[in-house]
Amino acid sequence: MKSKRRILFSLLMVLILAAVSACMLVIGRGHTLYFDNKTLEGYEGQDYKAYERVVVTVKGKEVAKLNKRERDMTTWIGQNFKMTLAVTEKKGDEPVVQEISLKLPYSVDGIVINLPALLAGLPEEAWFSEFVPAAAEKDPEDENPDGDSFGLDGELGLEDGLGLGDI
Amino acid sequence: MSQKKNALAGKKALELLSGNAVPIMFIIICAIFIPLAGFSPSYLLNEIITRMGRNLFLVLCLLFPIMAGMGLNFAMTLGAMGAEIAVILVADWQIWGIPGVVLSMILSIPFSALLGFICGTLQNMSKGREMITSYIINFFINGWYLLIVLYTMGPIIPIIHSSIMLPRGYGIRNTVSLLNMRQCLDDLLAIRISGVKIPVFTFLLVGLLCLFIVWFRRTKLGQDMRAVGQDMQVAKDAGINVDRTRILSVVMSTVCAGFGMVIYLQNIGNLPTYTGHSQIGMFCIAALLVGGASVEKATIGNAFLGVTLFHLMFIVAPSAGKVITGDSMVGEYFRVFLSYGVITIALIMYEAKKRMEKSRAGQELAQAQKEEEAAQ
Amino acid sequence: MGTNKTAAAAEKSRFQVMLEQFGLPRLILSGFLLLLLVMAPFVGVDLPTQITNIINRFSWNAVLVLALVPMVHSGCGLNFGLPLAVICGLMGGTLSIQLGFTGAMSFLMAVIIATPFAVLLGGGYGLLLNRIKGGEMMIATYVGLSIMSFFCMMWLLLPYNNPKMVYGLSASGLRPTISLEGFYDQTLANLFKIDFHEVAQSLHISLGPLERIKIPTGSLLVFALLALLIWAFLHTKTGTAMTAVGSNPNFARAAGINVNKIRTLSVIMSTWLGAMGILIYQQGFGFIQLYNAPNNLTMPTVAAILIGGALVNKATIANVIIGTILFQGMVTMTPTIMNAIVHMDMSEVIRIIVSQGMILYALTRKQEGSK
Repeated sequence: MKSKRRILFSLLMVLILAAVSACMLVIGRGHTLYFDNKTLEGYEGQDYKAYERVVVTVKGKEVAKLNKRERDMTTWIGQNFKMTLAVTEKKGDEPVVQEISLKLPYSVDGIVINLPALLAGLPEEAWFSEFVPAAAEKDPEDENPDGDSFGLDGELGLEDGLGLGDI
Repeated sequence: MSQKKNALAGKKALELLSGNAVPIMFIIICAIFIPLAGFSPSYLLNEIITRMGRNLFLVLCLLFPIMAGMGLNFAMTLGAMGAEIAVILVADWQIWGIPGVVLSMILSIPFSALLGFICGTLQNMSKGREMITSYIINFFINGWYLLIVLYTMGPIIPIIHSSIMLPRGYGIRNTVSLLNMRQCLDDLLAIRISGVKIPVFTFLLVGLLCLFIVWFRRTKLGQDMRAVGQDMQVAKDAGINVDRTRILSVVMSTVCAGFGMVIYLQNIGNLPTYTGHSQIGMFCIAALLVGGASVEKATIGNAFLGVTLFHLMFIVAPSAGKVITGDSMVGEYFRVFLSYGVITIALIMYEAKKRMEKSRAGQELAQAQKEEEAAQ
Repeated sequence: MGTNKTAAAAEKSRFQVMLEQFGLPRLILSGFLLLLLVMAPFVGVDLPTQITNIINRFSWNAVLVLALVPMVHSGCGLNFGLPLAVICGLMGGTLSIQLGFTGAMSFLMAVIIATPFAVLLGGGYGLLLNRIKGGEMMIATYVGLSIMSFFCMMWLLLPYNNPKMVYGLSASGLRPTISLEGFYDQTLANLFKIDFHEVAQSLHISLGPLERIKIPTGSLLVFALLALLIWAFLHTKTGTAMTAVGSNPNFARAAGINVNKIRTLSVIMSTWLGAMGILIYQQGFGFIQLYNAPNNLTMPTVAAILIGGALVNKATIANVIIGTILFQGMVTMTPTIMNAIVHMDMSEVIRIIVSQGMILYALTRKQEGSK
């Protein structure tokens, strides 16, 4: 009887932990967002001009101040992205404040958002693109990681690197 | 009469002094070094509090095996390795912030529990030299850790982002950035008092572990553990499953060490993949011993005092060494020497005491036998 | 027919006995090494060069491994405190160079200078180990590490000033790696060295690929001499007393043997041999390595003697020789063969797993005898 209860209890524990981690997997997914204030040319035969200046505020913090043809970035955890945009369309205009919420796709790490296209209410394919990082720059210290030491300290009981290489 | 009282008080004071020789020595060292190093008090306080938040959890997890009489758990590093594998995976899945930390902790449980189970089983096979066995298990499992992280991550264990992999296409880079997880626990509910940041939430977690330890001592399992620690034979006769209890104590220790390592890593903000865990065990054990713990007895107070004193020494030693000898390397070697030295002294005292007790028990037995013979 | 059968049975049982004596891990490792040797020609690795390497590395390490024997015999367990012995050797080496000796003379002086250090430090170490019987191995580990980190400070602070050894800029503090060129580099190895290439030339014959084999006779002879001395010592009265102390201290005490004195003697012997071992290692390797380096040899050395079949409380000269050959063979062969086959050097990881696994295996084995 007692052992049965114990098994049940531990199963329940495992289930809870699995549920929590599944939950964390969903709500903890981080994304990097890149904002482009760039003219979108020739989308269905129309151009969408870049704004004079856009200020992006996320969670009450100003994360980007974009002039024409500029890009900036921020990070966001979760899929329901909210931001406040203060858009100055032409020089001398008063900024128009707009709140925008977006649904971010789970599987994409870096998301580039074209702001003029987004604000013009175009479909997703027009303003959304995936950010492809440039080929990872080579880190000189990483070049030869399986030299003998791994950068490990003496306590690991390894023979020193020179001991093998020089024979 | 009063003279006698004085003598008694003096004797008591002397006992207190000799019982706490190591902490007192460290207080003296710190008292000499702090003015020499010339750091501002707010800097020192800030550093100490940061390091307490970072290390206390790890140090506290050493208490379980001590409770079960298995000595200093040099194999707490296993928990750290389990946590590191979990953190690598979580960083690759791009789970950030607090959810990332929570997920790393949960994910580390199976790894650390499995490693802890292996360690406990091996220690049961080598009763009487648990410590040296745990010390070697460290290195042995480290070999497997290297094998997994350096050769199977990429081709066998899927890694999505090439940015955390070595340029050659398999294996993990020497450092994995945890920028998006950095200090997210520490910043939660953090309080700043005149430039000193207090990571309240981290301390809450530490407090929770302390409460758990206090509560655990009173449970059936905790009582069993202490009984096993007192005398294995007696515990066995009392119907306690000795081997299982010992394994459980090690598993609890490694799992807690895994949690502690996640806390440690989120504070540091990056993961030194191949060096992160190597010195953890040594420093945590040294810190606990500096706090006045011994191989067979350690309290939560020892852990707090030890972390404070040990890290105070650790912060000021290089600068003080530079002032004294003109070379900051001397100070750095000095602090390593002190860490090793403190462990050595604690081990020697423990073994010498054990031997003395053994011979005293033998003498008493012989005495009793003699008396019995005389009575007949 | 019948006799044949019994002969076969006898053969089988003899084989089983041999297997038992040899031990499974060692059998696996020997098989592994044999496999590597057989594979070598097929994957384009030059076998004679490999054999030369194995012999060379054997000659560097054998004395260090031998140094573990006396302490195992007297029941002090595996000497994880090897850094202490290595420090004595380092003191000898550095002081000999500091005092201006060069060439073969510097080696001799290093040996002479290292001896009092070994006797003093080893004596103190032995007295300490007598107070903590039963917990030797753990404490030895940390005594070794403490001494090593203490000497890390000393290498910086002691007034060495030979420009060949100290940092150029500050002219004080020893460098982490000191070249032995012009000092005792290859002193022993070049003594009576057999170079098959030269032999072939002087005999006007061609030995083919065998010409690439070189044998450092001097180092091997010194090892043989020391091994012989230890073997002879273990058969003297004191030596048998040492074995008795190791296998059954209570019996030894009852037989009137001064256990503590014998144990201290064994520790001094181990320390002295360890100091010699590191000097011989250095003369083969060509460099003195300081600071954290002394600890780098501890685990490989302990693993080597265990691979050779030693137990925590039992070790013979044969264990030393077999173990060193197997371990060094594995260490030299795996990287080259692995690289040739899969272009992936996993040898480091394999070495850690094998050596630590071997130590773990020895520690967890049920032992006859005390403790």
